[in-house]
Amino acid sequence: MKRYEVIIVGAGPSGLSAAIEAAKKGLKVVVFDENEKPGGQLFKQIHKFFGSKEHHAKIRGFKIGEELLQEADALGVEVILNATVVGLYSDKEVNVKIGDQIHHYKGDTVIIATGASENMVTFPGWTLPGVIGAGAAQTMMNLHGIQPGKKILMLGSGNVGLVVSFQLLQAGCEVVAIVDALPRVGGYGVHASKVARCGVPFYLSHTIKAVEGKDKVTGVVIHQIDERFMPIAGTEKHFDVDTVCMAVGLSPMSQLLKMAGCEMEDNPKRGGQVPIVNEYGETSVSGIYAAGDVSGIEEASSAMIEGKMAGVCVAEYLGYIEKEERDAELKIFEKDLDSLRQGMFAPKNRGKKIEKTDEGIDISTNLLEKGYVADDEIERFPGVTHKAGVHPVIECTQNIPCNPCQDACPKKCISTGDNITYLPFVKEDAECINCGMCVASCSGQAIFLVDEDCGDGTATVTLPYEFLPLPQEGDKGYGLSRKGEKVCEATVVSVKSVKAFDHTNLLTMRVPKEYAMKARFFKKAEV
Amino acid sequence: MERIAEHPILGAKEKGREVEFTFDGQRLKGFEDEPIAIALKANGVMIHRYTKKEHKPRGIFCAIGRCTDCVMVVDGKPNVRTCVTPLKEGMDIRTQDGVEAAEMKEGEGA
Ligand SMILES: Cc1cc2nc3c(=O)[nH]c(=O)nc-3n(C[C@H](O)[C@H](O)[C@H](O)COP(=O)(O)OP(=O)(O)OC[C@H]3O[C@@H](n4cnc5c(N)ncnc54)[C@H](O)[C@@H]3O)c2cc1C
Ligand code: SF4
Ligand code: SF4
Ligand code: FES
Repeated sequence: MKRYEVIIVGAGPSGLSAAIEAAKKGLKVVVFDENEKPGGQLFKQIHKFFGSKEHHAKIRGFKIGEELLQEADALGVEVILNATVVGLYSDKEVNVKIGDQIHHYKGDTVIIATGASENMVTFPGWTLPGVIGAGAAQTMMNLHGIQPGKKILMLGSGNVGLVVSFQLLQAGCEVVAIVDALPRVGGYGVHASKVARCGVPFYLSHTIKAVEGKDKVTGVVIHQIDERFMPIAGTEKHFDVDTVCMAVGLSPMSQLLKMAGCEMEDNPKRGGQVPIVNEYGETSVSGIYAAGDVSGIEEASSAMIEGKMAGVCVAEYLGYIEKEERDAELKIFEKDLDSLRQGMFAPKNRGKKIEKTDEGIDISTNLLEKGYVADDEIERFPGVTHKAGVHPVIECTQNIPCNPCQDACPKKCISTGDNITYLPFVKEDAECINCGMCVASCSGQAIFLVDEDCGDGTATVTLPYEFLPLPQEGDKGYGLSRKGEKVCEATVVSVKSVKAFDHTNLLTMRVPKEYAMKARFFKKAEV
Repeated sequence: MERIAEHPILGAKEKGREVEFTFDGQRLKGFEDEPIAIALKANGVMIHRYTKKEHKPRGIFCAIGRCTDCVMVVDGKPNVRTCVTPLKEGMDIRTQDGVEAAEMKEGEGA
């Protein structure tokens, strides 16, 4: 039986971070992952991530995965792919299925970083070909380069539903609606807004009545539900679709920990069955740790920190570092983690109705109910200010753990204050040089550069644009509102694509001056 | 379903060699080493199998080898998860009916 000082199950952000930390301390580490590619959730994610610089924010998910892997490689971590761990015992024996064979390994310590699996809901027709999971949609379009469908209805408005909807639009698919049984959008407002401004309607307090089709999906009917989730008669709406995509939550994949005899609990704030762990991820079985989504559904950023914590703990457990060194490092990680776990989407606030931001500003109700901030709500947020000449307008209105905008600006125009979850604002003495870095760096695509009055009755609006075909200078079309409705005529003034923008093109459009604060997307006129 | 020729973030996808395979006797084309399910999807095939008891159609659901909805008979071997099995030149892929492959309909075939 092959022996390792640390066996890590799962090569996602938490597993790889744990491996890197442990290997840095000199431990012999192996990582098993069932997939053909390492990176866990990351390698399917093509959007720029939230968080701060230390958490690889504004880098696209799949790139973060590649960076972590390189680092692990350089430190001599052994990563074994296509290897499914099927057994874990309290004496830290690990059974791994590779091909048709079961291999046995023994670890001095084990870190479980298996992440989460997708939940499902059932409705008439849910087994028809064409009903798929959100992860499946990502796998098809982002890994294998094929459209999951032509016309798609998304069930679920959490971050996964919102992010995948945007990715479907990027893949050239049509998203006919985002539907959620809850009365409020579950994910970040900025993710919702970037989908809404493309014209995708949100149906909150709605659910699928039935999927239609004999051999495959040909349509879907949704209906409204009341506070007790009972359907309201006469509210049915039909859509012609070929695909229904489910993004109805994730559950920790904690089976291995249960198998090893770790104490478990059912904790809805953590997403389901999770191991009972101390603040550094140690389970009730000495030497077995859990890190990342498996011990509570969160984010890649927190998963990486939890992984590092576990890595440092096993190093001390095996005597590679002293207790003092461990505690000093853990303290830093803890502070990091705590700063991420603030704001309205923090685990401790899950299920709570938050009505005001930390700054005491009323949250946009339209954003929660329809996916976009209404024209009469936007002015109350600190990122939205007025000035002569080109200046940034930051439509980021909820407390989320994110701050690339602050780091991006060479003129230090933007700040998120002392706390990563505070709302970004434009500093009063800001001298914007119209470089566009903030627009391109914003993970939420929530920053616009606006010249409200060009002196000739027009205004210009610069927006992030990540679709093909790319409009060209001189193209004529329409300015779309935050809701995605045509509100005015618009002409493309310029389209900038430079390497530093990392595939986010900056489209500047000219609109009538009255629409400077209303037009937020461009749609080319059909010829 | 359509392959994405060029993606705004990922660019053009590198594909393997184009290969031929058969689906229920019908000659189709796909790219070597992509999952069988993707090649089928690109050819518009949605139904991978019929359930044993109720004869209900099933297709790709999870696309990562977990749900078994996509299993088919590949080169005579039933219950192959086509979403995680690489396509090879000349593969014989058949719709799975219960555990047995669906009988080839008359007039079909190469
Ligand atoms: C659509 C979407 C968008 C997201 N956007 C963001 C974002 O913008 N910012 C952010 O911070 N986070 C984001 N996240 C969340 C983030 O991806 C996850 O929180 C993070 O990946 C969790 O990391 P992990 O290492 O715990 O698990 P995972 O990334 O899930 O990795 C676990 C790995 O373990 C493998 N595994 C599981 N069981 C076994 C076994 N028995 N044997 C072998 N291998 C096994 C899995 O296959 C997987 O590869 C997003 C998630 C999704 C789905
Ligand atoms: S455009 Fe450049 S200078 Fe102006 S706010 Fe954005 S990053 Fe700063
Ligand atoms: S404005 Fe700043 S804090 Fe808000 S999503 Fe964009 S980068 Fe993050
Ligand atoms: S689609 Fe789920 S196993 Fe293939």
